[in-house]
Amino acid sequence: MAEEFLLSDDLLRQLMSVGEVDLLVGIPSHNNAATIGQVVETIEQTFQRGFPRERVVIINVDGGSTDGTSDILRNTSVHKSSGSRGLTSLRTAHRIVTRYGSESSSGVAFRTLLAAADLLRAKACAIISPDAANLTDAWIGHLLEPIYRQNFDFVAPLYCRHKFDGLLARNLLYPMGRAIYGKRLREFHATELGFSGRLASYCLNQDVWREGPVQAAPETWMAVTSLASDFRCCQSFLGPKTQSTTASVTDIVAVVRQVVGALFWSLESQESVWIDRVGSEPIPTFGPDHELESNGMRVNRERIFELFRSGVSELSPILKSILAADTEAEIQRVAALDERNFSFDHALWTRTLFDFAAAYHHSVLNRDHVVQALVPLYRGRIYSFLLQHQDSSVDEIEADSEKLCLEFERQKPYLVEKWKVRSEVKS
Amino acid sequence: MADRSPTLWYKDAIIYQLHVRAFCDSNNDGIGDFPGLMQKLGYLEALGINALWLMPFFPSPLRDDGYDIADYTSVHKNYGNLEEFKAFLVAAHDRGIKIIIELVANHTSDQHVWFQEARSSRDNPKRDWYVWSDTDDRYKDARIIFLDTEMSNWAWDPVSKSYYWHRFFSHQPDLNYDNPAVFDAMWGVMKFWCDIGVDGFRLDAVPYLVERDGTNCENLPETHAIIREFRKKLGEEYPDKMLLAEANQWPADVSAYFGNGDEFHMAFHFPLMPRIFMAVQLEDRKPIVEILEQTPQIPENCQWCIFLRNHDELTLEMVTDVERDYMYDEYAKDKSMRLNLGIRRRLAPMMDNDRRRIQLLNVLLMSMPGTPIIYYGDEIGMGDNIYLGDRNGVRTPMQWSGGWNSGFSGADPEKLYSPLISNPVYGYQAINVDAQTRSPHSMLNWMKRLIEVRKSSRVFSRGSIEFLTPSNHRVLAYVRQLETEKILIVNNLSSSAQAVELDLRAYKGNIPIEMSGKNLFPRIGDVPYLLTLGPYESYGFRLRRL
Repeated sequence: MAEEFLLSDDLLRQLMSVGEVDLLVGIPSHNNAATIGQVVETIEQTFQRGFPRERVVIINVDGGSTDGTSDILRNTSVHKSSGSRGLTSLRTAHRIVTRYGSESSSGVAFRTLLAAADLLRAKACAIISPDAANLTDAWIGHLLEPIYRQNFDFVAPLYCRHKFDGLLARNLLYPMGRAIYGKRLREFHATELGFSGRLASYCLNQDVWREGPVQAAPETWMAVTSLASDFRCCQSFLGPKTQSTTASVTDIVAVVRQVVGALFWSLESQESVWIDRVGSEPIPTFGPDHELESNGMRVNRERIFELFRSGVSELSPILKSILAADTEAEIQRVAALDERNFSFDHALWTRTLFDFAAAYHHSVLNRDHVVQALVPLYRGRIYSFLLQHQDSSVDEIEADSEKLCLEFERQKPYLVEKWKVRSEVKS
Repeated sequence: MADRSPTLWYKDAIIYQLHVRAFCDSNNDGIGDFPGLMQKLGYLEALGINALWLMPFFPSPLRDDGYDIADYTSVHKNYGNLEEFKAFLVAAHDRGIKIIIELVANHTSDQHVWFQEARSSRDNPKRDWYVWSDTDDRYKDARIIFLDTEMSNWAWDPVSKSYYWHRFFSHQPDLNYDNPAVFDAMWGVMKFWCDIGVDGFRLDAVPYLVERDGTNCENLPETHAIIREFRKKLGEEYPDKMLLAEANQWPADVSAYFGNGDEFHMAFHFPLMPRIFMAVQLEDRKPIVEILEQTPQIPENCQWCIFLRNHDELTLEMVTDVERDYMYDEYAKDKSMRLNLGIRRRLAPMMDNDRRRIQLLNVLLMSMPGTPIIYYGDEIGMGDNIYLGDRNGVRTPMQWSGGWNSGFSGADPEKLYSPLISNPVYGYQAINVDAQTRSPHSMLNWMKRLIEVRKSSRVFSRGSIEFLTPSNHRVLAYVRQLETEKILIVNNLSSSAQAVELDLRAYKGNIPIEMSGKNLFPRIGDVPYLLTLGPYESYGFRLRRL
């Protein structure tokens, strides 16, 4: 049987032609014909305006689109920036298109981009979502510049969000990641991010690419890897983020499985790094810090609460095996509350998550089932958040988020204790 | 069929540019002269050039290296006399070398008798030969060209107590072509030199001949009308003489100076030159391809003149701000290398004395559409002296040998018009004609072979160009074609080895024959034609269907 390679011969040939680059922007795609033309145009305009001297390449890694996404990317013409005789960008701007199969896979696409960055010796890279409808050239610049000009290795985005947008980040990823790794990185799971060639090479060379959590959420894995491995991390404000029109309640299951799964999985391999870290420290931030806006987003709270309650009921035996007895009892208690008086408070939520992380570590159940079992509880937490902050101002929400983060930091010894106990028993 | 008329000699020319002062001193006064230059015609013939462009050699106060002319129909005493010039001209023609001289038609020296008369009184008949004003606020839209030295295009004349117009230095008043007498006088100058036997004129500062309110005073229709009139008269009386335009403008604007084949025969392609340097530094063909694609077609009897370096600064007027900043950062890190909007350096130092890069640039020069100009000394890789003022750093004496004054002059070294280059890298002891003549692999002998290749086919001088677009952007490849003759040029612009696949299906069946070694390469087929090139390496292939 012929040996299979990550990079096709055609891609390799294209990389050879490009040679070495300063900047690489990757666009993983799957049936994004409606938006990809605008995205590539914006990227090239960024190159023309902000990086006219640099060697640049756009790489589209497509997961078998059937709507002509790659053709559009290949053929989109870009208006040159204003300037004398239109000669503003000094070098050839390369576009590479490659397909890796008939099904979309974040892991394959991401790894392909890392390999391309490594082979092209790219200094700064960014990954841009192909459906970033409100992408501006400032976005791309803000992701690349801290790496290219200030020697950072990882740039996470900060968005201007609605107060009820980004709830997974606000209620789970940020407080938990901050408490564990001791760094105040807001977005652990972003469809836009920047990274250095050094970090790309490091990640590429880790023997993790067959692991499900990494394949499912490589961006999250890279974020925690950069924090754990002492790469220089920062975050850049990109501006408003338009929420995907296809997002729905059911997507939460998939997102939690991918992202939380990747986070829990990473904790194991990085145990020696985080276990003794206490408190947290800010990381350099460029642009306004985490702006929120309070207008205009509708959320079906009732449906969320129903799913929480039914989930707790249906998964009761599983929750018993995951959660500490007092945590489980407390959850059962709040699940019985009237929905108008419901509260899933910071302390309970923190303890719940730490119990899940430890259960994942000790494999009390199939690990994927552990993560899936978290989903209804997450819904309960979100319902509580929405109820509490129905009329809150932006500042009040921020203050409450900070309290949650501090609670995670305060209870971190609880996680460490639960994490270690079973290990010692095992040994 | 290509026109093989002898009147189109300029299309097949390989021009060598020199200043008489800098080439060879026959009378040991420290300054080069025509008898000295005549002694060196054998060297130039052996190099392979077939036309000489002489910088101004006319009587002048020499405040702008002779571009401030005080007498148009004589020879500056430093360089000899008219009889010696005539003898030189005959000797050059005997060796098949055409002579192109300067015609600084836009302005004179303020020491010229015309200006002396004009300023003497407002009633003088010559008064209207120049552009005068009681105020300095006319023609406000005209840019100042010598930004480093001039504050205004008007200068106050204390003698006649009024302002006179000058686009260059204030000691170079502009002639007034609205006065027909000025045209007649300048035509008289041209006739004078044509009758002696010169073969062409390089018209200096062409775009600025006429001024009009409300314009930038460049490229005006009235200027074109004057050029057409010069050309008409020249064509009628001296049909084999050539006019070359110095118009530092964008290709579309310069091409207007070809008119309908009824203005200039040739014009410099200024924007190409900095982009050749840019492309090599960027290791990317884009700047070259882009500017040539913007270059309009010109009449059949016309030709671009292309060059790498010349007596002036490497002008960066015809580039964008981004490009100019890049060129300064890469080629003129030391501020003293910059002058006006340009870089005052020679070819070899700009290329960090990397022989491979120097050769690559010369291959581009010789293989691109147009008539190439070699600046004296660049064929041996001479250096410059950025510590000399103005543009004098690239106008130092020719380095003939490692002996006394580099073989340029028998005078005391202190008496030379300019110090010699004497540093260990570019000094005359290291870089000189004698040493390089003896070494078969020297820069000089390589240049001779390159010129020989260039002269082996009229495809280079008259053929079309079609760029290939291999995905490897560091490779610049093009096919030159004239009638059935085809030549493929492939250049690696980068400092590392490159592989390139060329789509040559249009030439399927041809056998590429490498032009310097005459070696055969595999026949072109349907599959991409793979070549590998070393750093800065070039190939020229004659494509033959055998």
